[in-house]
Amino acid sequence: MSPLLRPFRYAWEYLKEISGENAYDRYLTVHAATHPGKPAMSRGEFYRWRQDDKYNNPGSRCP
Amino acid sequence: MGNNLRRYVIWVIVALVGAVCWGMLALSRGETVNAGWLLFAALASYAIAYRFYARFIQRRVLETDDSRATPAERLNNGRDFEPMDRRVLFGHHFAAIAGAGPLVGPVLAAQMGFLPGTIWIIVGVILAGAVQDMTTLFFSMRRDGKSLGQMAREEIGPVGGAAALIAVLSIMVILLAVLALVVVLALSASPWGSFSLAMTLPIALLMGVYLRFLRPGRVLEVSIIGVALLILAIFGGGWISESSSYAGAWTFTPNQLVFALVVYGFVASVLPVWLLLAPRDYLSTFMKIGTIALLAVGIAVTLPPIHMPKFTEFAFNGQGPVFAGALFPFVFITIACGALSGFHSLVASGTTPKLIQKESQVRMIGYGAMLMESFVAVMAIIAATTLDPGVYFAMNANPILLGDTAQSAAKAVSGFGFSVDAQTLTSTAKAVGEESIIGRTGGAPTLAVGISKIFSSVLGGTAQAFWYHFAIMFEALFILTTVDAGTRVGRFMIQDLVGNVWRPFARTSWLPANLVASALIVGAWGYFLYAGVNDPLGGINQLFPLFGIANQLLAAVALTVGTTILIKMGKLRYAWITALPLAWDAAVTLTASWQKIFSSDPAIGFFAQRAAAVQSLESGKLNDTLKALKAESIDDAHQILVNTTVDGVLSILFALMIIIVIVDAARVWFGLIRGGKEPEMSEAPWQESRLDSEGNEIGREPVGAGR
Repeated sequence: MSPLLRPFRYAWEYLKEISGENAYDRYLTVHAATHPGKPAMSRGEFYRWRQDDKYNNPGSRCP
Repeated sequence: MGNNLRRYVIWVIVALVGAVCWGMLALSRGETVNAGWLLFAALASYAIAYRFYARFIQRRVLETDDSRATPAERLNNGRDFEPMDRRVLFGHHFAAIAGAGPLVGPVLAAQMGFLPGTIWIIVGVILAGAVQDMTTLFFSMRRDGKSLGQMAREEIGPVGGAAALIAVLSIMVILLAVLALVVVLALSASPWGSFSLAMTLPIALLMGVYLRFLRPGRVLEVSIIGVALLILAIFGGGWISESSSYAGAWTFTPNQLVFALVVYGFVASVLPVWLLLAPRDYLSTFMKIGTIALLAVGIAVTLPPIHMPKFTEFAFNGQGPVFAGALFPFVFITIACGALSGFHSLVASGTTPKLIQKESQVRMIGYGAMLMESFVAVMAIIAATTLDPGVYFAMNANPILLGDTAQSAAKAVSGFGFSVDAQTLTSTAKAVGEESIIGRTGGAPTLAVGISKIFSSVLGGTAQAFWYHFAIMFEALFILTTVDAGTRVGRFMIQDLVGNVWRPFARTSWLPANLVASALIVGAWGYFLYAGVNDPLGGINQLFPLFGIANQLLAAVALTVGTTILIKMGKLRYAWITALPLAWDAAVTLTASWQKIFSSDPAIGFFAQRAAAVQSLESGKLNDTLKALKAESIDDAHQILVNTTVDGVLSILFALMIIIVIVDAARVWFGLIRGGKEPEMSEAPWQESRLDSEGNEIGREPVGAGR
């Protein structure tokens, strides 16, 4: 990749990471390593489960 | 050796830059001083604090140990416990701690001049706020992510623990009321603002359905769609405000907005989160980070002059028209977020400690993210103080002092010792697309005018009205996100509390419990919101100090827990790093509480106001004290009586809570110092880490490396 584009690539990867966009990909990797052979959740299932989980155990935020 | 020398030279240069900038701020004699000095004074101070003080705390005091496995590694379940890249976690933590607080407090405190607020924001964050965040994060991490309340109970005792729990719940209520009040004040009589904020509801619903069913988990693309629609909504608002047939329909009185917000808060708490809360959360996070970044660029490019004086007379005489009370203690409770905010200790204990990869990262995430928030507060103070002071006071002074017209406001402002002509007030309102900017208290509109001036001057002086409503929308949006989320957190807390007595109530999925607990929490903050909007003495003037006291009370709890744990760790020698900020915080909060309770000055003391109301009611006509406070009728006296009783009792409750926590902890401290008993700590046992400093498992291919 051209060095000029690298910062943009990095920013895009960071956004994907921070928004949780690639959480499913990471889940698949971890799942394959920890539960080999067992079926993994689909993208939709995983996302719905994660969202419900997050908001049912709410943290707090600053005003 | 060469490397060391270079490092030494760099830090000497940073220190010199900081010293020169601070010197320019303190010694400038001109009418204005450039915001650049303030910006670089802050940055240089942060850099030095992060490199030296935070490192000292990390290495000497906390003695972080990277060979020790963090809870994220030991308890990794791919869900709430998971080692997360430190840069990503920094972003998450920052997004969680930075809400509307750092944008509102500094604007209000600017009535005392730009210097008191600035000094407190920068010095306070370095010595108190960031220390609190970092130590709480570390102690919670060593205890597998226990919450502040749990730590208080285990390390101090059941009394301290109970006080902490009550403090959290009451703060939540006041906080939500004050934030909702800011939204109401910003949107009342503004068809443009009301329309564009209302449009965020259908946009969020659309995003929710899209994320849940159409393209699950595609957060980035839906956020881009959402932000684009949001910008359209702002343009739509401009069109509405100029249309003769629709403008009236979108113009709301404050009480109509109160009703709308209360209904909205209840519905948002009851509805499933994916429909409204989660998509709004994404939208507001992207708007927040985007706007803050834009503002930083805008200030750095334009380097605007600051027109507010260093100190105004209100810093010393306590007669400020925005809120009453002198510099000490009221600057230090008005500016909480950005300098020292107890609320952060709830974020720093709970979610974030379960995601840390390596112990040493508490410096970057705890201390670093707080410095960043402090920087946001500095930008807010810059945006507010670049306005003409006359305009600032015409917008922020208690509306009852200003009257309804530009002429009466200009006259009132000259009474405060600043000058502005009615023409300027009208033209400023026109430039931002509003009917009037007079008495628009709450901080948000002032900040929006400041931001819109900076943004439009980057673009050659165009589109100020668009940027004003962009800023209003951005603040209102993330206040509403806090209101949603806070109501939900409060609902869970009530369900948990009642669940101790009656088990089934604690089940969060049980609809009747959900409805009752939601109604209770919404009713509580809705009451304070309604009372604030209709307060004859001005809602911001009355409620904001209460909110500040409550927030700093929570900080006192966090710092007390920190001091206790440091002593238990055998670090008595270093316990001052949390004990000194605690002493300061206790002095500030208790002095403020004392004045709010006992002051005989009716501008400040709740009970002095109450006595005046009682006397007026007995005699059947307003007495001189209430007339001096600009009460208008005997009905006002009724309202003053009720409001001051509630506010006064709450002040007493908060002060008692601080005293209980500190006294209970002091008992534990002296027991420990006298020795005899072995200190009991609830730290999780040491276990060796199998992760390297980049979070990859030692002796294994990095995750995802082959792809």
